[in-house]
Amino acid sequence: MVAAVRSELTRLGQPRMLITWFGLMALFAVLVNTIMVTFVSGGGSLPPGAPGVAFPSLAEMESPSGLMAGLAAASNMFGIVTLSFWAMATAGDYSSGLIRLLVAAEPRRWRLLAGKVGALLVVTAAATTVAAIVNVLAVTPMAVPAGISTAEWGTDLVAVVGGAWVNLYLSLCVWGVLGLVIAVLARSAAVAISIGVGYVLVVESLVKMVKDAPSDWLLGTTLGAVASGGTATIAYGTALAVALGYVTLGLVLAGVVFVRRDVTD
Amino acid sequence: MSIVTTTDLNRRFGPITALNHLTLELPTAGVIGLVGPNGSGKSTLIRILLGLIRPTGGSASVLDSSVRSPRNYASRVGVLIESPAFIPGLSARSNLVSLARLRRLPLGRVDTVIEQVGLAGRDREPVKRFSLGMKQRLGIAAALLSDPELLILDEPTNGLDPAGIVEIRELLRDLGRNGRTVIVSSHQLSEIEAVCDHLVVIRFGELVFSGPMTEVLKRTREHIDIAPEHPADLERLEAGLFAGGWSVTTVDDVIRVAAAADRAADLNRAATATGVTLSRLIVAQDNLEEIFLEMTGRVDGELANGRAAANGKVA
Repeated sequence: MVAAVRSELTRLGQPRMLITWFGLMALFAVLVNTIMVTFVSGGGSLPPGAPGVAFPSLAEMESPSGLMAGLAAASNMFGIVTLSFWAMATAGDYSSGLIRLLVAAEPRRWRLLAGKVGALLVVTAAATTVAAIVNVLAVTPMAVPAGISTAEWGTDLVAVVGGAWVNLYLSLCVWGVLGLVIAVLARSAAVAISIGVGYVLVVESLVKMVKDAPSDWLLGTTLGAVASGGTATIAYGTALAVALGYVTLGLVLAGVVFVRRDVTD
Repeated sequence: MSIVTTTDLNRRFGPITALNHLTLELPTAGVIGLVGPNGSGKSTLIRILLGLIRPTGGSASVLDSSVRSPRNYASRVGVLIESPAFIPGLSARSNLVSLARLRRLPLGRVDTVIEQVGLAGRDREPVKRFSLGMKQRLGIAAALLSDPELLILDEPTNGLDPAGIVEIRELLRDLGRNGRTVIVSSHQLSEIEAVCDHLVVIRFGELVFSGPMTEVLKRTREHIDIAPEHPADLERLEAGLFAGGWSVTTVDDVIRVAAAADRAADLNRAATATGVTLSRLIVAQDNLEEIFLEMTGRVDGELANGRAAANGKVA
């Protein structure tokens, strides 16, 4: 399986794709931090159920974890980006016809799939790191001029930064697996991205607007809770368990379809 | 010893029968041409041999292993199927490196195959800048990467210029002479005739012919092409020869007469007797294309399959 991971990593090393992926992560980190600092310092808040974004209070922002609050706030946007690139990397093999060459070279298809997942996990870790670095670089110079105290931001720095990185990474992995599953089923990056974005921006927002909707198990909400290290409504452990359920279900479905389905056009 | 064997092999796609009880044995070593009209089942056969799709009936084996366990022979088979498929944003070298890593091959093989197909010096360019011919060379390089015993190449000379065609033809011949088996699927029958030792013809998923190329070429017949000095005389000449018992067909401004070379003088006299002067009289032999059309009945298999499906019948 190591061979499949290394092979896939070589294919993922397309400069334009990596620059776009990491660039979008950096862009959203800057964008969300700018809006978040403006809102928090101005005492404003987003309307409830706003898609993909949850901002901290001023007190939370000034706590040690405030330094990394932007990562959690932008987690669903990072998630959509990650879903898109996992979907493109997967569906691209079908649209280019490369899948025929890969399956002929490695007929143990589960290895190919595992190699793709393994390689995408590595690149996702790099993308998470880019987002974390840009988050720190963006929020630090913006906070003080906006009247947000950064006195406590150095406390437990390694734990805060490491924890935020791990939480974001875990949530992005689930987003990515979702993109991979839809791409394997649809064999189309466009369809996979449309479904992913449409779900978060439309379906999940609509469901959340319904009173007493069981939002604990909704994908975006759950992964937002994972990225935040738990929320007032969803405990971290619960969110992780639900996310693990999504990943397991998704990988089993993708695995069965990928292994059993004919490779035609 | 057979390198590929199929017995009663079947594959259906909905109402279409792509392979219909195909039983076949392909010899080891040499270059084997696989030909048939569009929709004849060539691609389906190749995909089954590579483990990309599963047969719906019958059995097949490659290098003595069942196609149901392609992992037993995948490392010994190289393939160029349909169009060459690569990551356009990566260099030719990186594309080959990714395949070499997947196959757990030493990266030195990448340099070897790049040299072999004439891509040295261009291998660090992104594939998106490559012409179709260069992509085709890269596809062949990918197929050669594992130094395979069996090569399956679909239209290997597609997009190559005449010099490139000759070069690849020589490469395929060399591989065949050196004990490897090369299966070439192509519509370019002149290429098949030039390079193959063995020919397989399939139509509607059924075997029409399998045997040495020399045996096929024995089926060639001589014919004589004639043309009147004045095109207006074409009809009169054809009618006159037909009345004289000659077997004639007219293609454009040429009358093809089914006759051996030793009857050329008789034919000339017969033409003169109709009052027509010939401007051309050429003795020639049928080529593989004509034999192929005779074998396959001059039909487009895809159109025939489509009509059969529309009528609810199996092609």
